[in-house]
Amino acid sequence: MGLVKARGLTKVFRRPLKDPGLRGSLKHLVQRKFKEQMAVDGIDLDIEPGEAVAYVGPNGAGKSTTIKLLAGILVPTAGTVEVIGVRPHVDRMTNARNIGVLFGQRTQLWWDLPVRESLTLLRDMYKLSEPFYRKRIERLDGVLGLGELMPVLVRKLSLGQRMRADLAAALLHQPKIVYLDEPTIGLDISVKDKVREFLRDLRTDGTTLMLTTHDLGDIEDVCERIIIIDEGRKIFDGPLADMKDRFARVRRIHLQVASGYPQKIVEKLPGVEVSGELPEITVTFDRFAYTAGRIISAVLEVAEIGEFHLEEPAIEDVVRKVYAGELLRDATV
Amino acid sequence: MRPYRSLFLMSLRRMLTYRLNALIGWLGGAAILISSLAVWNALLRNGDIGGYDWETMKGYLLIAWAMSAVGTSYGDWHMANRIRDGAVATDLTKPVDYQSARFAEQLGGLAFELVAIVVAALAVIVFTGGIPAPAGLGQGLLFALSFAMVVPLKFIIWYITTMVCFWTQNYLGVAWARDAVVWVFSGGLIPLSLMPSWLGSLAAALPFAGLAATPAALYLGQASGTEAWKLLAVQAFWLITLWLGARLLWRGALRALTVHGG
Repeated sequence: MGLVKARGLTKVFRRPLKDPGLRGSLKHLVQRKFKEQMAVDGIDLDIEPGEAVAYVGPNGAGKSTTIKLLAGILVPTAGTVEVIGVRPHVDRMTNARNIGVLFGQRTQLWWDLPVRESLTLLRDMYKLSEPFYRKRIERLDGVLGLGELMPVLVRKLSLGQRMRADLAAALLHQPKIVYLDEPTIGLDISVKDKVREFLRDLRTDGTTLMLTTHDLGDIEDVCERIIIIDEGRKIFDGPLADMKDRFARVRRIHLQVASGYPQKIVEKLPGVEVSGELPEITVTFDRFAYTAGRIISAVLEVAEIGEFHLEEPAIEDVVRKVYAGELLRDATV
Repeated sequence: MRPYRSLFLMSLRRMLTYRLNALIGWLGGAAILISSLAVWNALLRNGDIGGYDWETMKGYLLIAWAMSAVGTSYGDWHMANRIRDGAVATDLTKPVDYQSARFAEQLGGLAFELVAIVVAALAVIVFTGGIPAPAGLGQGLLFALSFAMVVPLKFIIWYITTMVCFWTQNYLGVAWARDAVVWVFSGGLIPLSLMPSWLGSLAAALPFAGLAATPAALYLGQASGTEAWKLLAVQAFWLITLWLGARLLWRGALRALTVHGG
């Protein structure tokens, strides 16, 4: 049974269209023009219990909007969505008990009170029993180092500390599914590592994760499945490894050539590119057209190789291409 | 109830954190009370106006001012800002009813407002030589009943106007307009009976009269018996209508909600 199930999920925002300046504003009063903006455009989603899904795409692709639709914050314009058998926007409060949400760019803590007060308020909001609460705090303290943050006013926390406290707040009631919207944004490397470790821990507890991020390290460290969206539509949904296979067709071999004319291989192997200056050159090829072995043996016929190394496709390259708009939607799914 | 009790206590604690802020607000409120007392003192020196002598007017002004102080120290701007900057998104991920949660927060401020009201009443008594007592025990109880409705009624009027932020993204104009309308139509500016009769009757039928004119009339004994119950019924009618209406409006507001960025 799917934990999250969405069919044709769509959200259209209506934005006022105003000409610049005061004149534009006045004109808008009389002649109202709106632009419909398709933030999420007919997305189908199925997430199974225990999965960790990376939800990526360029800015404005509709990631956060999807999360907000799943969290019951926004009402879909069209389509259906169910999270653990509940329609989030219809039965928002039941849904809220099932889920945990973290928005990396905002805090859900009470700004002018100590962290502890926020957490006890959440304890009461979720109606957690005192022993359960204490056990959870102990557990979260272990991984997030909560203890030292407890008496500090939220507005006095550093960004990294705030993120730790916010993670605790999102996970206090032990939700079955957790949405994390950019959980590592603005954090330094060591805090990032801590957060990722914590997320991996969560997975071993059986918690289902869905995280949007621009940080590719988050994806490779935590997730096995990746969904890429662009302009509100899904362009890829599958295992991380499949994505590399499908999109990362280009591979590179870096060679140190002792002698010979490696450029000559281009004549024998059409489609292969050779770049760089002797003695260090790079051969770029389509991994579905040639194997690395084939390339090496071709080079060996015309040159002598000192060192070489094969560059594995990184998801970074793939995602970067999506961001740059190089991957076409219909070319893939 | 547990979530709401906790929200109430939290808001109480926040009020303590911002006590200086609250104090300054009340000083401003006190200035309004003092100036309206001074104006009416001058006006009534040469005899009654519309059935109000100085003693009655003092009682009226104090009650109208006290009612206007209720439910103002916490709430609408806080909620408006959270809607405008999108922080409302995190409120919506909590398993609490939004309207009830905001009401609980508003009640947290009430404890402090009551203190301010008592202080102001004592000051008026000391400096102006007393105010009239309620016109009998029965009227006192009717007043208490009406006052108990002022608190949620005021909340719901503020809540509904704050919700406009979902559509306008601007609150200042809405707040000013509302405050002006409330000031005039609640009887906060002058008693409704001193208005032209058509305006007075109109005001009496609107929900705002329940914010000051009704409790004052009950306290001063201007309405008693059937008349008193009729006033209370109008007040209750508006309270219930607006409370339910706000829930309908809320559904529309969620459809209009746009949370920008993150």
